[in-house]
Amino acid sequence: MQNANSLREHELMMTRRQLFGRTALGVGTAALGQLMTSESQAARSGVLPAPHHAARAKRVIYLFMSGGPSHLDLWDYKPGLQEKFNQQLPDEVRSGQRVTGMTANQKNGLPICPSKYRFTKHDNHHNGLWVSELLPHMASVAKDICVTYSTFTEAINHDPAITYIQTGSQIPGRPSLGAWLSYGLGSMNENLPHYVVMHARTNHAEQSLFNRLWGPGFLPSDHQGMLMRSQGDPVLYLSNPAGVTSQDRRAQLDALASLNQEQFKRFADPEIVARIRQHEMAYRMQTSVPELMDLSAETEETFQLYGDDARTPGTFAACCLNARRLAERGVRNIQIFHRGWDAHGGLPHEHGSQCKDIDQGSAALIKDLKQRGMLDETLVVWGGEFGRTVYCQGNLTKENYGRDHHPRCFTTWMAGGGIKPGITYGQTDAYGYNIADEHGNPLTPQPSKEKWTPGTMHIHDLNATILHLLGIDHKRLTYRYQGRDFRLTDVHGHVIHDVIS
Amino acid sequence: MSYLTSVGRLGGMGAVVAVVTLAVCSGDLRAADEARTQRPVDFAREVLPILSNKCFVCHGPDSNEPGQLRLDTFELATSVRSGYQAINPKLPEQSELLARIHSTEEPMPPADAEKQLTSAERDVLTRWVMQGGDYAMHWAFVSPEKQSPTISDPSIRNEIDAFLLARMRERNVSFAVEADRRTLARRVALTLTGLPPEPEQLRAFLHDDAQDAYEKFVEQLLDSPRYGEHQARYWLDAVRYGDTHGLHLDNRRGIYPYRDWVVRAFNRNLPIDQFITWQLAGDLLNSPSLDELVATGYVRMNPSTGEGGAIPDEFQMKNNFDRVETLGTVFLGMSLTCARCHTHKYDPIPQTEYYRLLAFFNSTAEPPLDGNKYDYGPTVSVPSDQAGWDRWNQLQKEREQLIKLAYDRLENGDALPQETLSKWLGSSGEQRLSMLADPKSPVARFKLTEQAADLQKRIVEAQASFTTSLMAKDMATPRETRLLRRGEYDLPVGDPLEPGILEVMGGFPEGAPRNRLGLAQWLTSREHPLVARVLINRVWQRVFGDGLVRTPEDFGLQGRQPSHPELLDWLAVELQDSRWDIKHMIRLMVTSRAFRQSSAWRSDVSDPENLLLARGPGYRLDAEVLRDVALWASGLLDPTMGGEGVKPYQPVGMWKALAHPASNTKEYIADKGQLLYRRSLYVYWKRTSPHPMMTLFDAPDRESSCVRRSRTNTSLQSLGLLNETQRIEMSRKLAERLLLGADSDEIRLKLLFELLASRHPTDSESAACLSLLEAMRQRFGQSKSDALALLSQGEASRNEQLDPVELAAWTQVAVTVLASDVAILLY
Repeated sequence: MQNANSLREHELMMTRRQLFGRTALGVGTAALGQLMTSESQAARSGVLPAPHHAARAKRVIYLFMSGGPSHLDLWDYKPGLQEKFNQQLPDEVRSGQRVTGMTANQKNGLPICPSKYRFTKHDNHHNGLWVSELLPHMASVAKDICVTYSTFTEAINHDPAITYIQTGSQIPGRPSLGAWLSYGLGSMNENLPHYVVMHARTNHAEQSLFNRLWGPGFLPSDHQGMLMRSQGDPVLYLSNPAGVTSQDRRAQLDALASLNQEQFKRFADPEIVARIRQHEMAYRMQTSVPELMDLSAETEETFQLYGDDARTPGTFAACCLNARRLAERGVRNIQIFHRGWDAHGGLPHEHGSQCKDIDQGSAALIKDLKQRGMLDETLVVWGGEFGRTVYCQGNLTKENYGRDHHPRCFTTWMAGGGIKPGITYGQTDAYGYNIADEHGNPLTPQPSKEKWTPGTMHIHDLNATILHLLGIDHKRLTYRYQGRDFRLTDVHGHVIHDVIS
Repeated sequence: MSYLTSVGRLGGMGAVVAVVTLAVCSGDLRAADEARTQRPVDFAREVLPILSNKCFVCHGPDSNEPGQLRLDTFELATSVRSGYQAINPKLPEQSELLARIHSTEEPMPPADAEKQLTSAERDVLTRWVMQGGDYAMHWAFVSPEKQSPTISDPSIRNEIDAFLLARMRERNVSFAVEADRRTLARRVALTLTGLPPEPEQLRAFLHDDAQDAYEKFVEQLLDSPRYGEHQARYWLDAVRYGDTHGLHLDNRRGIYPYRDWVVRAFNRNLPIDQFITWQLAGDLLNSPSLDELVATGYVRMNPSTGEGGAIPDEFQMKNNFDRVETLGTVFLGMSLTCARCHTHKYDPIPQTEYYRLLAFFNSTAEPPLDGNKYDYGPTVSVPSDQAGWDRWNQLQKEREQLIKLAYDRLENGDALPQETLSKWLGSSGEQRLSMLADPKSPVARFKLTEQAADLQKRIVEAQASFTTSLMAKDMATPRETRLLRRGEYDLPVGDPLEPGILEVMGGFPEGAPRNRLGLAQWLTSREHPLVARVLINRVWQRVFGDGLVRTPEDFGLQGRQPSHPELLDWLAVELQDSRWDIKHMIRLMVTSRAFRQSSAWRSDVSDPENLLLARGPGYRLDAEVLRDVALWASGLLDPTMGGEGVKPYQPVGMWKALAHPASNTKEYIADKGQLLYRRSLYVYWKRTSPHPMMTLFDAPDRESSCVRRSRTNTSLQSLGLLNETQRIEMSRKLAERLLLGADSDEIRLKLLFELLASRHPTDSESAACLSLLEAMRQRFGQSKSDALALLSQGEASRNEQLDPVELAAWTQVAVTVLASDVAILLY
């Protein structure tokens, strides 16, 4: 009664267990060694025996902008708004979109707020890409990225929206994107965790993050993302306690292995053997992680590329450099969370600082991967959980304003790993409020997750596309829980082939 | 042929006869021929799972397309459609279902369907249709009945063993040898209390030659307050207990008295029907006690948000979805989530019934948004820890005694004016105490005024240290509940729905009120097919490591079948027969022969999943137990019960890295002193970032219900076991205990193993430990500063009398043995 994936998982477990079950009691140490080798192969592979189709990317680096960056001030150029400054947003533009409790009853209504930033058009081999002056470095990779103007979601508050885009459900409890990838594909590196999450420093840590965003949900909990920290141990509990050297630890592990082997002789439980292996891997991690974090071997050119920020642990640029180093070492699944994009007021001040944080590092990551020949096999994704409103929240002046949450359209970009470089996908209306057709007319009916409309990208479509590029059919990577075969994209999702090369 | 229909409906042997006749009539249909030699197909256990998994996606309960064939009931599957019947009970070989599942041109499922039939499944369906296509209810929707086990054997200690042995015999297997007494003592102590046996307790047990020595040992453990603490933990996972709101700011939430109530309920063995009723509807009982009100924290356990801009109507519904779906997992062992948006695809749960069930919860009085407040919505004031409860109960007792004294004097002829007497009789205990304390009241003649006033004063003092706990309370006017199209809060359709239950699980009890109290009566009614099974399966899971139904979260059509259905049913009915006595049930389980078996894997039985239960339980202990065992062995464990969540050491910055700047849980400030050493049950549970030593070892985040933790095995766990500050501190104190407790290395090692394994070390274990000890002695002998550095971990003071080199060397041994499978496994 099992579906293919859980069956496969069952088989993996069975093979391992039966192997040990048959060997059972009285196994010698030599045989133990053999068992440990076969164990290692079984334990690290994912549930999919092979990708559903040829993968375009081996790994993904996801730059997540938590809080909801303003598409209107960064990417989605709307010159026509200048003359509408402080005019009320026409009802027909809003057309039924719900408004959050923060602006629903504000005294000045919903006044249109043009971006104060200058946009320039950059050659991308196609029609050109408009980029705000806030992102000068990103403008220099216009030819490498594919910008989507028509990403959308239903959620209008942070917690549900970010949970939705990362787990496919607005209510907590489901596995994260990264956990799904770990479950499906397993790991390519024995000495490092398969799924690494970093939190980049920000001056505006205004939104919360939650363990669930890289959590396992109902998947086995070893699929959860591992936090790589810039404070204290990069990996929790990595360092030996004060006074304990690596040789001391070796002696401890030898004693531990003897104790566990004795336990295995008594009980023949294969998990015991598996645990001996994990202790050894932990020991190797104590070397491989510090080596990973040690940037002294990076060249001056690299630091010029990423900027001086990259020398300071925990900055977004440093995280990007670490992401490249993790990618080089076979980590499949890397996510950087950057908070502080929730600019309800004082947007120019906040977004200015936020963009400064991320601009050079993001662009450098793309250039760096490219010059190392890794971009083709690395999917880079950038985006937040929703966009921001064209109308102002709070006081509106030409120089200062705020924007509320906007789920109906927002901008994301992807690069590398099977993505068409230098294109844009989808468009919005003259207000940057609705997803529009090529003439700028809002789509009717409103795009919906229920049925894909060409030119749009629901967050389920985005996730389906990410999985597709990694060789996974989003409809077939499922896990049975409570009688239902769950998947990241729920019962929705459409692979956007228009953005795939 | 007319009898065939009725035979088909009867199933069983009759169906075989029918098929034989039919096979003769209609020539050599190979399947029919096979059917003759096969035993009757069990619809519920064999056929329904196939239909559910492979066919219902299009032909199931939610197929509303006009004209679409449905296969979920006999009537629909046999209905005459344009010229054919999917199942033709009279002429089974003409059933369209058979034609299509065997067809290559028009196959079913269609060639491009994701889920195809296996040949074994095709065979089952064929035999089933040929036997008349009889339908039966899914097993879990039929009330359990007790059947007596049929076999007897000297190895059988109680009914549990008889059911298990019967299944083993089919495979020519019998129980494994009994575990040795030391191993068994450790196993049962860890199972019941989450801690190993105390050395003296162990010794007494080992020296007790009485026939019932083990049973007496079990009773001691069941009576220990540690029992309730350990058992409560599983319940807290299921109901997703946390100390914070969970969403957005994830601020502090005042509900820990609920956690402490669960501990008390297990310790006093509150019957499970009352345990359920108080939680769902304690506030609706007649003059509810503080305990009954605190218990309704269950209803308030859903994560909540106070996010600026959140839309109240949306969260009113999200909170309710969460409650309904948690109710499904916790009590019904099934997900109701599907029915939020559409009629369930597999299980017979119409969308309307989901919203009827939701209506029970839709009228609670708390606002949909929590305002980020600690005391959000209705709360009850209660003592803040176990000592406070003890004091409070003592005061209540004193009050009753005082009132009784007044009664005695009343009866002894100290007559009261009629008016005072009726006032007295119509008063609550509290009011009577006021009357007694009032020197102007006629009852002052009882001369209890001073005592009463003193008691009153002490009551007021006790109340001053009360804390608040979230509770359930209904609004004066219920909210209307309507079905929501696709589960969207802003798409209500149809008329308002009356609160109601899931009809497939039995009717609403007659005369029961249409509120949460009625809901509780439905759940605890004798006829309910699921609740007792689901709960006892989880008790089994915590005693034997895995449930009889291996998917404790899913008893529905898609879940796994019970490995021992008759045993599960026997246990479920026994639970009800025993007046919902959990200690009785656990006693039966841990005194069974099955529990006493050796847990070594057997070379003569190939059963990696231990589905036969032909070996004892074995698994890695839970996160909390790993910490508690080490605290206990080191002598650091503080047995204080209850109170606000405690904060042991945690790496710096973990909360801050995630938290909103306005959150009042953004700074993790570790506690000082004794609070560092409380049982892990009491560790503060921030839902968006629980303690890393908990999540590292598979504790859930408690944002959603968890009735089965995974048991993973990772390298990060190794790092935690060997490097985490408290583990080093506990190892140091354990080392001190060993150094002070014995003079020789050998005896110290014996003590160490006795604490952690309830036995002495083997030669090779001794050799491994002594060799490590020697290496560490040399190392720290050469570097005393390293020894001192190691010994400075953690707040507990170091015994300066002991040689730091020796202490550091033993600390290393203790860390290592504490991390080894000797200590971290149940076996």
